[in-house]
Amino acid sequence: MLAPALIVIILLFGGGLLLALTQSFGFLPVIGLNEFSLAAYGQLFQDDVFLTSLGLTLWIAVASTGISTILALACALLLRRPFWGAGWVRFLFQLNIPIPHLVGAIGILLLFSQSGLFARLAYLAGLIRETGEFPALVYDPYAIGIILEYVWKTTCFTGVILLANLQTLGDNFEDVARTLGANSWQRLRFVTLPLLRPAVLSSSILVFAFTFGAFEVPFLLGQRFPSALPVLAYRKYVDSDLTSRPEAMAISIVIAILITFLVLLYMRLSKQAVKRV
Amino acid sequence: MKKVFSSLVILLLAITACIGGEEGAVTDPASYNNWEDVVEEARGQTVNWYMWGGQDNINAWVTGYVADNLKEQYDITLNMVPVVDTADAVNKVLGEKQAGRDSDGSVDLIWINGENFRTMRQGDLLYGPWADDLPSGQFVNWDDASVNTDLGFPVDFYESPYGKAQFVMIYDSAKITDPPTTMDGLIEWIQANPGRFTYPAPPDFTGTAFMLHMCYHATGGHEQFLTPFDQAVFDDAWAACWAQLNEIEPFLWRDGSTYPESHAQHDDLFANGEVWFNMAYNPAEASSKVESGQFPETTRTFVFEEGTLANTHYVAIPYNSPNKAAAMVVANFLLSPEAQLSKADTANWGDRPAVDVNRLPADQQTAFNNLPRGVATLSDAELAPFRLPELQADWRVAAERAWETFVLRE
Repeated sequence: MLAPALIVIILLFGGGLLLALTQSFGFLPVIGLNEFSLAAYGQLFQDDVFLTSLGLTLWIAVASTGISTILALACALLLRRPFWGAGWVRFLFQLNIPIPHLVGAIGILLLFSQSGLFARLAYLAGLIRETGEFPALVYDPYAIGIILEYVWKTTCFTGVILLANLQTLGDNFEDVARTLGANSWQRLRFVTLPLLRPAVLSSSILVFAFTFGAFEVPFLLGQRFPSALPVLAYRKYVDSDLTSRPEAMAISIVIAILITFLVLLYMRLSKQAVKRV
Repeated sequence: MKKVFSSLVILLLAITACIGGEEGAVTDPASYNNWEDVVEEARGQTVNWYMWGGQDNINAWVTGYVADNLKEQYDITLNMVPVVDTADAVNKVLGEKQAGRDSDGSVDLIWINGENFRTMRQGDLLYGPWADDLPSGQFVNWDDASVNTDLGFPVDFYESPYGKAQFVMIYDSAKITDPPTTMDGLIEWIQANPGRFTYPAPPDFTGTAFMLHMCYHATGGHEQFLTPFDQAVFDDAWAACWAQLNEIEPFLWRDGSTYPESHAQHDDLFANGEVWFNMAYNPAEASSKVESGQFPETTRTFVFEEGTLANTHYVAIPYNSPNKAAAMVVANFLLSPEAQLSKADTANWGDRPAVDVNRLPADQQTAFNNLPRGVATLSDAELAPFRLPELQADWRVAAERAWETFVLRE
């Protein structure tokens, strides 16, 4: 049943990957590169630009994943109990999931740039003398704008997964703990959190893999240098000098390898989770 | 499952076989007997025109005036495909060549010039020569060096001129009453007004142009570089330029710690008043942005007393376009006096004509001379004496690289 769909996916995706791989080995006959070599990779790992970009990309992914996971956990724990208007609040909580990252990034730009809404409000309120004094939150060296966008978007994604998990788990385990004399902190620390652990881990791996490999948000909100790896790969790809192509592809392959590794980890963890339940 | 897997392997092998490809140099010259044949064959074809889509009024002119007239006069459907960077279109054709799609490509026409044209010529990715076969070609002065060479690279009729442009500086006369019109004056102004100036990061087209003005100035003139590229001369002479750009860097927007990614981003900074100068490689762009309300009414432009860069932009046909006849008809239409006049009108685009106005019939010459210019556009008389030539593409590419190393990262 799956075969036709699978063929299309593997052919298009695998074919693309294979082409990228051969080009990353410096093989591109149409422009006269006829030999396989690992030169592009060697160059990459000696290149300060690549290494700084790798560092920045890791920082973006770690910070976004960490902050959004903690916030998501807090939100899920708050929203799990029934309360007046819970349906509405949960609906609002999920509202941003279908919004594309592109739209989110533009929104961040309109709100947080030095000529954005918040800078103007701060100016009107007399907090700053001119809008240029507003702290640099986009195109900034710490990638704050990028992280803000990812946190805004992925908190809800992780939160919805955790909320669903909590609802499947039900109250039974905690009720048992309560009858055994556990107070609310102990119930959270020793019962709920351990039960949620696989879901937290697997969803944060997904978020990490996404924020590490995504292009549009750092392209729109990032500083010119250093830039996130996918942006660096894109710039090398559109370089009018076609001999930069192997390097562009080598960067993409490095990103792909790291993400594949994360996906494998994710699959292992979710298998464990299934076993435990 | 095993079957699926083995068929996949075969398909993947087939793909790799294609990467090897043959030398598919399908760039035979036009094989039509006369122009009527071309027009006849073009009837009913669809042209996918890949072009930079960063400016709304240009897009509207293409999808409106141009598309409507082509449909009406030649029964050709024009499908504009906007790209962020012309290199995207070049990459598409290159990818198709790799995949062995030598006759059924998806790109029929590209708005192109400079290093992208050179890249496509060197990769044997263009159809031609054809541009001298166009009836409208009679209005083009092919003896003009700024037309028959594109950034120092011979055109050889592999692309057809479409418009001309000159770099101008843009400012808001309500904020700056007396703008500095020399390079030294601008450098002084930047240092006296910290945070109010920036330029798009090269290799953005506009950013590279601004950088080149600084470099012409700092290296003591462009005349010494109007030769094929010379690495030793470049390393030696251009260091002065990087020193100059680094000297002003602390006084730029965001203390020079970052630069706008693109011309469009720079436009936003200017429109929002974050920076007080903007720039464009199109003398009429400021006027059209005043008209659309993006820039204030008080926006004006100027050129440096040392001069500003000027060049020609073109359209080219990829070697694997299945609609070459229609693409040529489109190129011919773009060069027609009517289309050039409509394009020169600030209400539409305001692009300077690629045809030599003196070669047109008298009534059309009058029409060109009577075009309203727009509040922020300089007259031809104010622009013409201040034109500087572009360098060959190798100089540009080397400068873009060096800028990243010596200015952006230091």
